[in-house]
Amino acid sequence: MKNIQLSRIQWISLVALRMIIGWHFLYEGVAKLLKGNWSAYGFLMESKWIFADLFRWMAGQPALLEVVNAANIWGLILIGLGLMLGAFTRLAAAGGILLIALYYLCNPPFVGLFYSIPAEGNYIFINKNIVELAALVVLLLIPTQQMAGVDRILAKLLKKSPRNPAS
Amino acid sequence: MSEEKPKATCGKKIDRRDFLQGLAGVPVLGAFALAALKQESYRRSRKAQAVASGAAQGGAADLNVALLGVGAQGDVLLNSMLKIPGLRFRAVCDIWSEYNLRRAANLLKKYGHEVNSYEDYRDMLDKETGLDAVIIATPDFWHAEHTVACLQAGLHVYCEKEMSNTLEGARRMVQAARATGKLLQIGHQRRSNPRYIFTHDVLLRELNLLGRMVTAGGQWNRSAAPDLGWPKKYEIPAGRLRQYGFNSMHQFTNWRWYKNLGGGPIVDLGSHQIDVFSWFLGVNPKSVMASGGTDYYDPATHEWYDTVLAIYEYETPRGTVRAHYKTQTTNGSLGYYEQFMGDQGTLVLSESSQIGAVYREKTRAGSWDEWVRKGYLGEPKIIETRADDTARDSLDVRETISPDEHKIALSFFDPYHKPHLENFFNAVRGHATLNCPAQTGYESAVAVLKVNEAVEAKRTLYFTPEEFHV
Ligand SMILES: NC(=O)c1ccc[n+]([C@@H]2O[C@H](COP(=O)([O-])OP(=O)(O)OC[C@H]3O[C@@H](n4cnc5c(N)ncnc54)[C@H](O)[C@@H]3O)[C@@H](O)[C@H]2O)c1
Repeated sequence: MKNIQLSRIQWISLVALRMIIGWHFLYEGVAKLLKGNWSAYGFLMESKWIFADLFRWMAGQPALLEVVNAANIWGLILIGLGLMLGAFTRLAAAGGILLIALYYLCNPPFVGLFYSIPAEGNYIFINKNIVELAALVVLLLIPTQQMAGVDRILAKLLKKSPRNPAS
Repeated sequence: MSEEKPKATCGKKIDRRDFLQGLAGVPVLGAFALAALKQESYRRSRKAQAVASGAAQGGAADLNVALLGVGAQGDVLLNSMLKIPGLRFRAVCDIWSEYNLRRAANLLKKYGHEVNSYEDYRDMLDKETGLDAVIIATPDFWHAEHTVACLQAGLHVYCEKEMSNTLEGARRMVQAARATGKLLQIGHQRRSNPRYIFTHDVLLRELNLLGRMVTAGGQWNRSAAPDLGWPKKYEIPAGRLRQYGFNSMHQFTNWRWYKNLGGGPIVDLGSHQIDVFSWFLGVNPKSVMASGGTDYYDPATHEWYDTVLAIYEYETPRGTVRAHYKTQTTNGSLGYYEQFMGDQGTLVLSESSQIGAVYREKTRAGSWDEWVRKGYLGEPKIIETRADDTARDSLDVRETISPDEHKIALSFFDPYHKPHLENFFNAVRGHATLNCPAQTGYESAVAVLKVNEAVEAKRTLYFTPEEFHV
């Protein structure tokens, strides 16, 4: 198992996966930004499970809510850019994992929890958030950015000798 | 080249390949930018279309409109008006110049209306020439002064309900409308709602679907909620608050709960539905008794009752109708609706568009099939007792056959207040008569404000027919 090498097409598919997720994050952020008055209020108020009180409390603090809204919008945009361009990729992937984990914990699809915001599919424990989160974990661990991404250039500029990723 | 490691980053100089692969994301970002731009310009053109077909169009026939009071409801009305063609906004007045006033002026600017902003309505009336109409959505205790001054300045007025927090104020408003010959519409918007008009005109009057009406009911349930707050950095200085009749920011945002400023939930919410009682029954009430109190909230900041149950009696040409009304602000389940019951059918109707149906009393009513065929009613949904309902062995003999449910076959998807505003502007143009003119708003205020008196008096209070006239 040790020396498995990935073929070119395998690398390309992983890079594509990264860019696709980046696209999704970026547009989620951009759309909220353009909308002008987007707020996480409704989403937070819908929270279920053990963190519900915490999320609702956040929704109830106007000043804090503003911070949450801005952090979410700009977080999505920066993570999206990072993944798409392969810049600060590990940081972006980790940030993405954190954000999605928060979405998941806010409204988890557990047995016996019902939401009034209808979902477009049917989920139990695993929803598309978790799928995206898992994909980001893969991208955190496999340095696609050294195959294709700004990090490849940055690494050289900073003259850091990188770890050999594929071995 | 099929087997490859991404090992190009080994401290060497950046070569062509590093460069190309390093920037592989850039074309994707370009594609993204194109897609996002396309989507955004589509969204903008949709919005521009809405604006062009609506408010911002210039033209000689435009009505010049001012807004007085742009808080929560002023904002709702403004958003509805932006969808009505032929209006040109000229001025906005609100004492909260740091916040609400600015927000409204900015919104109008976005839609191409350059407006002048004022803190004091007298200033606005002095300086603005050429206004046709004003939309008043200030707290209830300001309505009389604002309305009378605007009418006297020659403007047509749309004033939010409750017409006034005092009957004396409401009377002055009717008199001013009469004296100036200007129009005064009161904001009981159900009076212009197509579903309500259809139900009243066709189902009740023309088809007499309910038969002999005997009881009516209504409720507005709202969840418990914290007092309204405000952004601390936009606080109004104490001096200005006092000047306009408020003794604190808390009182300013929560005026509804204070005696002398508002009327509490029964006046705030009940007024809409008690108005529908009179409208649908065709008469003003004969008496009212009521029970109420501040049972849940802190009475120091909730002077008016958080919970009220009222019972009215109406003497209609076909006999007595008794109506009960409930408003509570501690539980929102089952929402808000009105209900009328006659010996042939039941009507349940709400401004909320999911609720609207009539139920046929099978034992008394004739067939409604013709009305279904004509499209007045939806097809009957038979409300059955489920056969597999193991919890009960047999149907209790005292139960009667359950009625058929027919949805009211008229949907309405516009903002709730839009038709009422349209009715007002059409009347200003001379193309319509008001659906809720001053006198009607006054009668409604007489019926509603008496509930608070009845709570205090702890006995039945009677209305005299003269009470309803100015
Ligand atoms: N028809 C409906 O469905 C409906 C719904 C909600 C409210 N309303 C009515 O609308 C009116 C306003 O209610 P709201 O919820 O918007 O209250 P609000 O407190 O949110 O807004 C009131 C606004 O009036 C301003 N104001 C107060 N005194 C003023 C003065 N003297 N001059 C100028 N501006 C002044 C305040 O700064 C504030 O912006 C009330 O009469 C209420 O009953 C009607």
